[in-house]
Amino acid sequence: MDGDEQEARIAALFREAASGAPPPGFDAAQVAATSRRITRRRRSAVAGAALAVLAVVGVGAVAGLGGPGEATVTVASGQAAGQAADQNENSAGGAGDAARAAAPEAAAAPDAGGAPLAAPGVAPAPGSAAAAVPPIGTPLGPGPTDRCADRQDPALRALVEQVLPEVATATEGPVTLDCSVAGDRGVSLEVHDGTSTGVLVVRYFPAGADTGTEGQRAPTASGGTVVAYSWASRAGAPAPFADRIGDVVAYLAPRL
Amino acid sequence: MAGPVRPAEVAEAGPDLVGQEFDAYFRARRDAVRRTAYLLCGDWHRADDHAQSAFVALHRHWRRIRDRDALDAWMRRTLVRAVVDESRRPWRRERSTDVTPETASEGPAEGVATRHVLVDGLRAVPPRQRAVLVLRFLEGLDVAATAEVLGCSAGTVKSQTAHGLSALRTALGDALDDLRPAG
Repeated sequence: MDGDEQEARIAALFREAASGAPPPGFDAAQVAATSRRITRRRRSAVAGAALAVLAVVGVGAVAGLGGPGEATVTVASGQAAGQAADQNENSAGGAGDAARAAAPEAAAAPDAGGAPLAAPGVAPAPGSAAAAVPPIGTPLGPGPTDRCADRQDPALRALVEQVLPEVATATEGPVTLDCSVAGDRGVSLEVHDGTSTGVLVVRYFPAGADTGTEGQRAPTASGGTVVAYSWASRAGAPAPFADRIGDVVAYLAPRL
Repeated sequence: MAGPVRPAEVAEAGPDLVGQEFDAYFRARRDAVRRTAYLLCGDWHRADDHAQSAFVALHRHWRRIRDRDALDAWMRRTLVRAVVDESRRPWRRERSTDVTPETASEGPAEGVATRHVLVDGLRAVPPRQRAVLVLRFLEGLDVAATAEVLGCSAGTVKSQTAHGLSALRTALGDALDDLRPAG
C-alpha cells in the first residue's frame, strides 16, 4: 500500500468515524438570536461604562476645582460614587449588564470608606503619567449567580484594558457555551503582540470556585482568584504578552 | 439564478439580505462543522456547543468578514482554537492514555465499531496534532491550507501529521488495519 492509497484509507476512516451524527441541537434562528443578545448586551455594557466614566470624570472635575477644600470634596465625591455603584448593583433586576459594566469605573472612584486597598506598584503621584491609572476602590467581585456567567465579561474586559491597553481593539476569542452560575467572570481575546499572535485568557473565580486553571494566579481583594495566561496560535512561537501576564494579574488582584 | 452576493453588496444591504446570506451558509456548512467539531473533541454534545459558538461568532462578525471565500477557513480556525483552548482547562483537560476503551468488540456493526475505535483513539492524540489530522483527513485540506488554518508552517503541519498518526497508531494498536504504516 503506497502513501497516497494509505492517506485515502485513513480519510475514509475519518469520514466513517464522523458519521452517524445525532440531530443537531441548534438552528440558524437560535444562532442569530444568541448573536443579537450578545450584541445588545455589549452595547448596554458600553453605554453603562461610558455613563460611569462621565460621572467619575465630572466628580473628579468638581474635586479638582475644590482648592483648599479638596480633601473634603474628594471624600464626598467618593461617597457619591460609592452610592452610585450601590444603586447600580441594586437596580431593578439586580444584574443589569450596564450596571455590571459600570462597576469597574464606579469602583475606580476613591473609596468612601477610608484606606484604599493595597495596590502593588500603583502609587500615582499627582501630575505624573501614572496618575492616569484609576485608583482602587470597591473590588468588582463575583459575577451573576442567577444566570450563566458571561464568558466575555465586559466589566472584566474594561479592567484588563486598563492594564493592557493594547488589547482594547482585540477581537473576542471563541468561548464555550457552558453554563456556570458560580459567579465567575472571563475574557478571551485574540491578541497581537508584535509578531506574536494568539489568545489571552483572563478568568476570575469567586472564593471556593477556583478549579485550578493553569496560568499565573493571585488571590483577589474579594477573596477570589484571578488567573491569566496566553498561548500562541503558532506552534513554537512565543505566547503574546507572556512577559506581562504577571503585571496583569498583579493589577487585577486588588480590583477583583 | 442570481449569482453569489458580493461583499460590497452585503455591506450596503439591509439585515434581510445579511440574514439570508448567513442562513444559506449555515445550512450548507452546519453538518460539516459539527462533524469536524466531533472529531476534535470526541463528544457530540460538546461538538454542538463548539459548533454553535463558532456560528454565533461568525454571525456577529458577518459584516466585517470581507473575503467570503475565506469563511470556511475562518470557521475552522475559530473551531480549532476553541477546542484547543478548552483542552487546556483542567476540568476538561484531556489526558493521553495508552489504553483504548474496548468499545470496538461490543459494537453491533462494523461501522459503529470503527467509529468508536477511531474517536477513542483520537482522544489519546494531543489536541494540536489531533487538529492537524482532522483538518487533513476529514476536511481534506492539503498541507498549505492546514498550515494557514493553524497559523503555523507547512513543516510543522508535516511533522505534526507524522507525530499524530504515530500517536494514533500507538493508541489503537492493531485495532484498525488501515492505520498501519505504508510499506
